[in-house]
Amino acid sequence: MSEKMKIRNPEKIKEKLAKSIEIVKEAYKKYDLKDMAVAYTGGKDSTLMLYIIAEACKEMGKELPQQFCIDEGDVFDEIIDFIKEMDIKYGTTTEYIHNSDVSQLVAGKLGAPVKVSELNDRNQKEIARLDYDKDEFPYEPESYVGNHLMKTVSVNMYIDDKKIKAFFEGIRWDEQGARESETYFSPREGNEFNLAHDRICPILHFTEREVWEAHFYADIPINILYQQGYRSLGAKVTTKKLTDVPAWLQDMENTIERGGRRQDKEGVMGRLRKLGYM
Amino acid sequence: MKNVILLTIDTLRKDVLGCYGNKDSLTPFLDSVMDKCIVFDNHQSVGPYTQASFPGILTSSYFLEYGNPQKLSANRTLVSEVVKKGGFATAGFHSNPYLCEFFGWNRGWDQFYDSMQDQVTDMVPYIAGDMINKKASDWMGNYTKQPDYKPFFLWAHYMDVHEPYVPDQGYIDKIDTSIKLTKDEMFTMFKEVLLPRDVSDPAKIELLRKLYCAHVIQVDEYVKEFFGNLETSGLLDNTVVIITTDHGDEFGDHASLSHDGKMYSELVNVPLIIHDPDLKESKRVDTVVSGVDVSPTIANLFGLDIPDNFHGQPLLPLENYKSDGCFGEAIGKLAHKVQPTDRPVHFYQEDNLRITHRIEDDKWEMYDISKDPKERDNIIESSKKSEDMKNKLKSKINWYDKGDSPVINLINF
Repeated sequence: MSEKMKIRNPEKIKEKLAKSIEIVKEAYKKYDLKDMAVAYTGGKDSTLMLYIIAEACKEMGKELPQQFCIDEGDVFDEIIDFIKEMDIKYGTTTEYIHNSDVSQLVAGKLGAPVKVSELNDRNQKEIARLDYDKDEFPYEPESYVGNHLMKTVSVNMYIDDKKIKAFFEGIRWDEQGARESETYFSPREGNEFNLAHDRICPILHFTEREVWEAHFYADIPINILYQQGYRSLGAKVTTKKLTDVPAWLQDMENTIERGGRRQDKEGVMGRLRKLGYM
Repeated sequence: MKNVILLTIDTLRKDVLGCYGNKDSLTPFLDSVMDKCIVFDNHQSVGPYTQASFPGILTSSYFLEYGNPQKLSANRTLVSEVVKKGGFATAGFHSNPYLCEFFGWNRGWDQFYDSMQDQVTDMVPYIAGDMINKKASDWMGNYTKQPDYKPFFLWAHYMDVHEPYVPDQGYIDKIDTSIKLTKDEMFTMFKEVLLPRDVSDPAKIELLRKLYCAHVIQVDEYVKEFFGNLETSGLLDNTVVIITTDHGDEFGDHASLSHDGKMYSELVNVPLIIHDPDLKESKRVDTVVSGVDVSPTIANLFGLDIPDNFHGQPLLPLENYKSDGCFGEAIGKLAHKVQPTDRPVHFYQEDNLRITHRIEDDKWEMYDISKDPKERDNIIESSKKSEDMKNKLKSKINWYDKGDSPVINLINF
C-alpha cells in the first residue's frame, strides 16, 4: 500500500484480535464444522474476520468452514478478483449464492421491472410478507424488495439447503444503530421462511478505524477499491466514492461510513410503511 | 453566546407531561428541571403530522405554500443553513424517514444522520433514542475538543413514542402491571386496531394509550441521559435546549387513532419548553405561539438575521414577541393511507378561538378552547366572531380564493 496508516495503540489492536480469536474458538466448540459457514463479502470487515478465523484455525489445527458470498447481481469486478485472491491465500472456495428465480426473469438486467406474479411461490410469499402491494418492482439489489429477495432470501435458501446452524458475519457495533444490541452469538428465531440459526459475530468490538488499524497491524490484504476512496462497499450501481482519499485516511469519526451509498425510494417507502404510513 | 440544542420528540401529546398537568409521573426527569424552563401553554404546531409540521419547525414555513410538498423545496431555508452560513457548526441526528436526505432535509448540516442506511425491525421501525443520544454526544464531544470552539447548533429527534407502540415490559409495568401482552400481541393491535382506525372498543383504545404512555416514560429516560451527557461534558451551563414535538397523537379524542389530517388540540396544541441555565425561576407563557417561531428563535440566539422567507418571529426575549395568531395546514387525510380525493385542511387560532376548515366537504368548525378544551361544541353558527375568524383564516391562504386546491399525491413522491 502506498499510503500507510498510523496505528494509534498497537496493544489495543492486539488485544482485540485475541478476543476475536477466542470467539472463533468458542464457536468451534459449540458447533460442528459442517454446520458452520462464513458469510464473506470481500469488504474490509469480513476480510478482517476471515483473517481471524484462519488464525484461530491455525492455532486449533482445524479447517476453515464453508464460505459463501451473496451475488446480488451487481458486484464490482474488483470484489470478485479480490475474493479469488483470498481463496488462494486461505485455501477456501467461496460459493456465490444467488436468487436466480428473480434474475432470470429480467436476464439480469438492472432496473428492469420484475413481475411479482411470474416469481415462484417462495418469492411471492416473501414479497407478501413485506406488505408490498404493487405488481412489479425494479431489479435492483438495494431497492426495498430487491434487497430482501436477492440478499435475505438468498441467505435463507443457503441455510435451508446446507442445514447451517450458525454462520460467521463481519458486523460491528459502531456500524449502525440497529446493531448495538447484537451479541457475539446472536440467535435468529426460525419461522416459515427460514430455519432457526445463530449468527457468530467475532469482530463486533472493532470500530471502523480499528478495522483498518488491524489490517495494517496484521498485514491483511486490502481491496483496491478502498485505496481508490470507497469507504463502504455495496452493489455497484448504488455505491459511489465521495473522495479519492483512501478509506483508512478519511475522517471516520465525523463523516458517515455509508455516505456513498444511495438512499432509494423503496427503502424510504419501506420505512414509512413500518411506521404506519402509506 | 450559548450553544443551542433543539430536542424534538415525535408524536408527543401535551397531556402526558407533568408540567402540563399530567398526574401519572410519566416524565419525572423533565418535571425535575422545570425551575430552569419557560413553558409555553399555547404552542401550536403548524400541522398534525411530520410532513405538515416540520416545515414549520425547521424552515419557518407552511406545508403547502411551495407547491408540491414531497421534497423540501429549494425556496425554503432550513435553520441549519442559516446557522451554518453564520459561521457556526451544525449537526442533526434523527430517524424519521420523512426528514431524510432523500426528501432534502440534509441541507445545512455539517453532520447529518438520518438512519436510512441502518436496519430497523417491524416492532421498532426506527433507531432508538439511546443511539441518537450516543451519536449526538459523540459529535459534541469531538467538536468541543477544539480549543476556542464557537457555539454550535444541534438537533436531535426521538421517534420512540411513535406507533407501532411495542414498548418493553419494564416500561409497561410502570404504567399498569396487569398488562401482560407479548410483543406479537402488541404488534397485532397496531395492525388490527390502530391502522384501520378501529375505535369500536374503548378498552382497546385505553390499552393503546397505556402502551403509548410506556414509551413516554422511556423517552423521559432518554431526555435524562441527554441532559446527563451535557452536564458531564460541562455543556449544560452554556446551552439553551428547546424541547418540542411535531404533533400529538389521538386516542379516540375525535373518533379516531394516530395522527391524521385533523386540526384538533390533541394533535396541534403541543408542548414547547425552553430550558435556559440562566433562568432564575420557572416561567409560564400563555400567549399563542407557533411552530414557525422555533427557527427564528434559534437564528436570533446566534445573533443572526431572520431570512425573509421565515414566517415566524423569535420567542426570546419574551417581551418582544407580538402574537398575531397561528395558522396551520395539512392534507386532510382521515386514514393511514392518503386517498386521491383528500384535500387540504386549515386552522387559525387567535387567543382562545380556533377555527378550522376542511376543503373536501367545505366544513367549518370553531371552538372556544378556554371553555371547551376538548372541542366538542362547534360554535361556528352561533358565534358573532365566526365571519371575522373565517376571513382571517382565508387571508392566510394565498391560493384560497382561486377556488382550486392543490391536488397533492402524497404517495407518488
